[in-house]
Amino acid sequence: MEEKTIQRRDFLKFLAFGSVVAGGLRLTRLTSASETGGSSPYRWGMVIDQAKCTGCGHCTLTCRAHNDVAPEISWNRVLDAGKIGDQQVYLPRPCMHCEEAPCVDACMVGASYHRADGIVMMDYDKCIGCRYCEVACPYGARAFNWESFTGPNPAVPEWGQPEVPRRPRGVVEKCSFCYQRIDRGLKLGLKPGVDEEATPACVVACPIGARNFGDLNDPESEVSILIKDNPYFQLREDLGTSPRVYYLPTREEVTT
Amino acid sequence: MITIKRFTVQPVHLWIALLLLVLAVGTVAYGIVMVKGLSVTNLSDLVPWGLWITIDLSAIALSAGAFTLCAVVYLLGLKQYEPVARTATFIGLIGYSMALLTLLLDIGRPDRFWHAIVYWNTHSLLWEVSMCLTLYLCVLLLETAPLFGRAEWMQTRFPWISNKMMSIHHLAPFLALLGLGLSMLHQSSLGATYGVLIARPIWYKPGLSVLFMFSAMVGGPALMVLITKVSGRLSPRAKVDDTLLEKITLFIGWGLVGYIYFRFWDAFSMTYTYEPGRSEALSMMTSGPLAFNFLVGEMLLGAIIPAILLLVPRFRKSWIAQVVALTLVVGGVVAYRWDVNMSGLLVILTYLPQEITTIYTTYFPSMIEILSGLGVVAYGALAITLGVRYLNLIDHRGTEKEVVESPVIIAGTD
Repeated sequence: MEEKTIQRRDFLKFLAFGSVVAGGLRLTRLTSASETGGSSPYRWGMVIDQAKCTGCGHCTLTCRAHNDVAPEISWNRVLDAGKIGDQQVYLPRPCMHCEEAPCVDACMVGASYHRADGIVMMDYDKCIGCRYCEVACPYGARAFNWESFTGPNPAVPEWGQPEVPRRPRGVVEKCSFCYQRIDRGLKLGLKPGVDEEATPACVVACPIGARNFGDLNDPESEVSILIKDNPYFQLREDLGTSPRVYYLPTREEVTT
Repeated sequence: MITIKRFTVQPVHLWIALLLLVLAVGTVAYGIVMVKGLSVTNLSDLVPWGLWITIDLSAIALSAGAFTLCAVVYLLGLKQYEPVARTATFIGLIGYSMALLTLLLDIGRPDRFWHAIVYWNTHSLLWEVSMCLTLYLCVLLLETAPLFGRAEWMQTRFPWISNKMMSIHHLAPFLALLGLGLSMLHQSSLGATYGVLIARPIWYKPGLSVLFMFSAMVGGPALMVLITKVSGRLSPRAKVDDTLLEKITLFIGWGLVGYIYFRFWDAFSMTYTYEPGRSEALSMMTSGPLAFNFLVGEMLLGAIIPAILLLVPRFRKSWIAQVVALTLVVGGVVAYRWDVNMSGLLVILTYLPQEITTIYTTYFPSMIEILSGLGVVAYGALAITLGVRYLNLIDHRGTEKEVVESPVIIAGTD
């Protein structure tokens, strides 16, 4: 009898140890997050030229209209980034669509996910509004719908027409690189980044062409050429998130 | 003359009335949140988590007595603690239900709570936590079933169900094992929920999981002993064996010493180098708005003083010193959860190139947040009060016998 009890205890200990290890392994990421969701020939990216940006904020407003975003939320913020010489510098900030997106790892229901073409998408029907992604995002790119957005959108029709449904109260929302324009454009045989109809609204709206959009997999695309020929930076590269939004910095020789 | 049997008001009735009042107010506040959404809170996109997450984390941490004592009884084989484990298990059940109630309040779409179980993102710490919570709640329901089954009113009214519920006791070692695994996973993972976020330097470290686990293993038994001791003094229905609790309080005392050690190095090692965001958050805790909470609430009152009170034999013999010490430990666990959450959220790192600067924000819970939170706490206190009164929750008499009469045989081992 005594012998049996010891066996049982050992067996239980083994099970306890095993279950802890198995649970831990489940969380370990063995594959890159960017590999999820099928395959796509495209890898969309954006290049923003800080030297050109005048901080007019057209991108913010156009974005609000096309994506039907509430006035108190900005998917696309334009930040004051200090001065170089006498020139005021701005930093437009959409979602970075990180290759290693903290929000995608954080989301417990998989409402934030990578599309095969690299876009970090939101499934607004899955989101439970826990806001862990907001806590995880280093760029403040996410906004929670604290209230439901009802009534007319002040940015419509001056800045464009809504192309996606409004998000309900209680979910987190963010920039989607205007996936609806990309997807529809590709179906019509258009080229995102070249044809306006297939390009994110903010890129089209920028009056001085400070924003460029295109396929990073295509060496001939404008974005690929821009980051090949110019010095560039990404926001908080040190975090290892590999943002797919690149910035061409303001330089003395450009401003003078 | 007709004599009327008079209903005499006892202190416990006043206590229950008070809890019911708070519960009623809390329920109204809860309803307002459900109808109006989270705009009635003081939470924002900069501070998305606040008072409720603290209640939630604290309730889970303070329920840790359940798995700790079940492991002690059924895995380490210290059967004399079986009645204590029973109390702890019930407190665990109530604590976890409090946590779930608060979570439901905190999510933007409470109607989609079930998504957390149906849709899986196995990379997410919160996915793992919600899985563990769900499974562990089932374990706790099974572990507490004999307690409900043994209640007199259950036995007389539903003898068949009562017998079935009591027979679940045979599964106790398996449940203890399952509970240990699930609890170790999610108690640590709740720390890791914060600890894996590279965007928040004060959190980004492996130590958070260890500290969450450790403080839970101290705080959980502390709450259990506290409730037992107070009930023993206030209610004739609680039969307390103080010698049984003595060892546990000693364990809590030494656990606190270990916790102070870990927490000290956790904080102290961060003072050596300047790291944007992390250093600012730390100075917020040592000299900023969180200083009182951290230095006094968490360290001095929450850990150092109770460690002394629980380890010095003269104080350990005193009922009042113990109750004070255990209350402080419970408060310390809550303060720790609040500090962790707030230190990461109130300091925001900018992402501007060249200069990584920090900005500060503030948060104070709104009245609705406070009232609904109090409502959840009142529910917990009420459930435990009723448990002591009607479920014979605290009864340390004649314990050996019961355990011995239900030996567990694992198929395949004989």
